[in-house]
Amino acid sequence: MTNNPIVKGKLVCVALNDAEQFEAMQAEFNEAPYKSAPTQPVLYFKPHNTWSTEGAEVEWAADAESMVVGASLAVVFGKECCRVSQEEALDYVGGYTLVHDFSLPEKSYYRPDIKGKCLDGSAPIGADVVAAANVADPQALSVVTKVNGEVVNEMPLSRTVRGVAELISTISYIMTLQPGDVIAVAFPGQRAPVNKGDKVTSEIAGVVSLNNQLGQ
Amino acid sequence: MKHARVLFNGSELDVTVEDNGQLKSKTDGQLINEADVTWLCPVENPGTIFALGLNYADHARELAFEPPKEPLVFLKGTNTLTGHKQNAYRPDNIEFQHYECELVAVIGKEGKNISREDAMDYIAGYTVCNDFAIRDYLENYYRPNLRVKSRDSLLPIGPYVIDKDDVGDISDLRVTTHVNGELTQEGTTKDIIFDVPFLVEYLSKIMTLKPGDMIATGTPEGLKDMQPGDKVVCEIEKIGALETYIVSEQEFYGDKY
Repeated sequence: MTNNPIVKGKLVCVALNDAEQFEAMQAEFNEAPYKSAPTQPVLYFKPHNTWSTEGAEVEWAADAESMVVGASLAVVFGKECCRVSQEEALDYVGGYTLVHDFSLPEKSYYRPDIKGKCLDGSAPIGADVVAAANVADPQALSVVTKVNGEVVNEMPLSRTVRGVAELISTISYIMTLQPGDVIAVAFPGQRAPVNKGDKVTSEIAGVVSLNNQLGQ
Repeated sequence: MKHARVLFNGSELDVTVEDNGQLKSKTDGQLINEADVTWLCPVENPGTIFALGLNYADHARELAFEPPKEPLVFLKGTNTLTGHKQNAYRPDNIEFQHYECELVAVIGKEGKNISREDAMDYIAGYTVCNDFAIRDYLENYYRPNLRVKSRDSLLPIGPYVIDKDDVGDISDLRVTTHVNGELTQEGTTKDIIFDVPFLVEYLSKIMTLKPGDMIATGTPEGLKDMQPGDKVVCEIEKIGALETYIVSEQEFYGDKY
């Protein structure tokens, strides 16, 4: 397991924030067990045993038949952020990088998915953080993920249910965020299947990249 | 031994709680009166905070659920932690916020794939937490979600961590909550569905457990609403009594309200 130099306290991930996925799941949202679509951001933690970094090998989960990966823009807080408005939200961002979320395939969003999401070393976070001052508009960014060189996903931040500033504001009313806390704002709804030994590369063109390989 | 952390004269201090209630500095043996300190979370570097839903047979009945066949585990952020005799807030414009008195097992040694038989070797000690929940905010996504369970100050914990060997058997301890002196919640750890050795085995199969990780083991029946001004005392026999004051959102956040 590799310690990550960036994240210090909390890694909060936002699920179901890909508008295409959200739209595609409307019928399912209205059935049991959900019964209605979420009205608030759907959040989960990746705890400290999951934190890893650029270049690290990601353990293949014991007994897992398959694993999946999604990549998200990672918002790294530069100062304490408590109950801020959308208008001022981006002032609290120290910088941006990428998060890989390696998981077991997700069958349901009903219960916290400890088994699928808390695997050791399953959340590598980019070692390079681009200063917030160098990113004029995070909504204009797009995250491209390749497995063994083939593009498997593209997640433009313009395709989200909730944008970066709105999420920062909403989450800051639930929990105070500290410098070094990270929010992973948007994963593509279709996570990419991966196999043992696969190389996973995600990139925001010209901004930052993150490379990991699955173990055997 | 009972291990606590306090603010004293502006500095964080590791202390033991003596039999007469006095606090003794671990660095220089100085004796300190409780009245002169602010209690902090007794775990210095809190790691992953696991909490169990529906883990008491009586509580599962109370909420009209079948007892779960697999533990319902969720995680809480470190922003939720606060100490003994501190404030926790009630959000504005909600209908139902309740306390949950819980036995907490504190991990003392790193381990993965720990067997049930070896599980207790990985426990440093126990403490008490009050795992507040805002039921208005339950939605059927990753339930109970962070909006219900991971708000600032809504996991008072302490007053101290008591060494495992000073407690002994934890399989039938009385669990109570008093609100403003009135007994509102009463149960026993005998009703726990998934016990501490089971949970250590279960969680460590999924992930590495590390010192400072905590497992809050769920709560018995008897959940009631609380209001600003209430004093809530969660007590577990042989472990300790944790006292919390409920304040309004405005009082809690002050300038940031």
